[in-house]
Amino acid sequence: MKKLAIPTMILAFCCGMMTSALAQDSKAAAAQAPAAQPPQETVCFESRKGASEVTKRDLKPGWPNVKCSPKTGAALWYGDPYDGTVPMGKMPGLEKIPEGHAVIKPRTEKLALMPMCGVSCHNGVGPQFSPPTLPKGKKPVPLPTMEAMVPDLKDLQHGRGRIWCMDCHHTTKRNMLVDHFGDPVSFDQPQLLCGKCHGDKLRDWRDGIHGKRIGNFTSTGKKRWFTCTECHNPHNVQDGARNRGFVQLQPEASPQLPRGMKDASHEKLHPIAH
Amino acid sequence: MSSLMGAAALMVQSDDAAAATEWAEHFQKNYRLMTDAEKAEARARLERRYSSEYGKKVAVDTTEAQPGVLMGYALNIRKCIGCRRCVHACVEENNQSRGTRPGEKIEWIQVLRMERGEFSKDKMNHGYPEGLGIQVGGNAYTPAGQVLEGQYHYNPEAVPEKDATYMPIACMQCEKPPCVKVCPVRTTYREADGPVVIDYNWCIGCKMCMNACPYWARRFNLTKPVLPKEEMNPVTHYLGNRPRMRGVVEKCHWCLQRTRHDRYPACVEVCPVGARKFGNLLDPESEVSKILERKNVFRLKAELNTFPKFFYFYD
Repeated sequence: MKKLAIPTMILAFCCGMMTSALAQDSKAAAAQAPAAQPPQETVCFESRKGASEVTKRDLKPGWPNVKCSPKTGAALWYGDPYDGTVPMGKMPGLEKIPEGHAVIKPRTEKLALMPMCGVSCHNGVGPQFSPPTLPKGKKPVPLPTMEAMVPDLKDLQHGRGRIWCMDCHHTTKRNMLVDHFGDPVSFDQPQLLCGKCHGDKLRDWRDGIHGKRIGNFTSTGKKRWFTCTECHNPHNVQDGARNRGFVQLQPEASPQLPRGMKDASHEKLHPIAH
Repeated sequence: MSSLMGAAALMVQSDDAAAATEWAEHFQKNYRLMTDAEKAEARARLERRYSSEYGKKVAVDTTEAQPGVLMGYALNIRKCIGCRRCVHACVEENNQSRGTRPGEKIEWIQVLRMERGEFSKDKMNHGYPEGLGIQVGGNAYTPAGQVLEGQYHYNPEAVPEKDATYMPIACMQCEKPPCVKVCPVRTTYREADGPVVIDYNWCIGCKMCMNACPYWARRFNLTKPVLPKEEMNPVTHYLGNRPRMRGVVEKCHWCLQRTRHDRYPACVEVCPVGARKFGNLLDPESEVSKILERKNVFRLKAELNTFPKFFYFYD
């Protein structure tokens, strides 16, 4: 009896251990599963927060299209500078650049209101609604519907009150901008519009002095050009919260303090004898 | 001697890539004296070593300087907002040590924060730093632009701050580099297309170049570099961002692994305000040539006659 009982007890004990261990395993698996389940999407911004977001993905294993800063959510490194770009299109002054060597990232697909603009209200047909959707003249009038949709418009600072919507947006094709001759310009080519007034900046931008280009550095190489509105918010160019003309950003982490220095103001508090 | 050779032969054939390569690395020549065959051998050796060490396919490039290229850099000092993205992009690209203990975190770019201000009589004794009695910008008795160590450790909620100007500094890739003059083993030298580079294998870690550099551009690997496998950039150049060892000096090389293949350096590509410009100085159409032609340009510490190829400009 006794001889039988001991192995039985051992067996029972082992089974108990096994089941508990298995239970723990399944619990752990259950805990891991939800963490791995949603595809963790890292989105970071390139130049303008809220307007130049890019989603991180692997171009090939271990080689992402972009690396993001965990601290500020800014794009820190490009695996492929031409990822998601299209040819820039015709641009006066850039004829020397070989075909297809100037590319841009289309902004049209990032603008949330864009698909509606051209069809829902401003279909180019004319005043068929009440109140009419097309302004009758060039004189600025408040547009409550638009102000509700685009909050920036309540405080339009561009031009300090001397210009209004129809100076930049096409009257009938509202998903387009407008050039000097009243012809429509794509939202992907704002430089054709902005250069109307900011000619000096356009000249510098064309030569690569103003703004930003990434890709090949030689003057005939393939580059991705950043267009005006990728960095500047055209509705809100004189933001009061700005310092020295820039929207403030959170900076990246500061460097390691030199050994023995307790904080960055150490030298201010303990100045060198002079 | 024969036993030594035997040991060497055994080590070369060993499965451990590090052990096999270390022996050969000890006996390789200065990079500039290597023949093409020796360069190819060194390259294959390093690729094998790094690939096994970091668990991925690592390429060590040995592309030479291209004729007709003289690299130049320009930075718009009015536009810099001090966000330090360039600093961190550089670390992502160039395989610096990124530990947390003292001396384990290496960054090549420093962004200096300069107080804004103007000369006036009543401010004569209230300069920055407090108590030193110098005006912002300096005066006749005190050198202008005194930079304290703490000045690049600024950490506000948001940049740019109202009363500050930011000035990033890194290696200026001088035409007459003082660091090259002092190097006792001649392991650091100016490449034909501009950048001053280091053959890390020949560096003895004497830090003379660090003392000689007037721009604080050089960093020393005081400890074994901390470089996690998943963060390691597998596209490297022999004279550029290949992983370094303990006890060698490193510095900015204008992303040789990129620029030798016609790609902008990493810091240029991430600057959110487009303050950083890079181009070929020999090409009159390049953006740097246009800046030199059209803008107000200065070089840092020009009085030292180091002739940097790094230009600061403003609109």
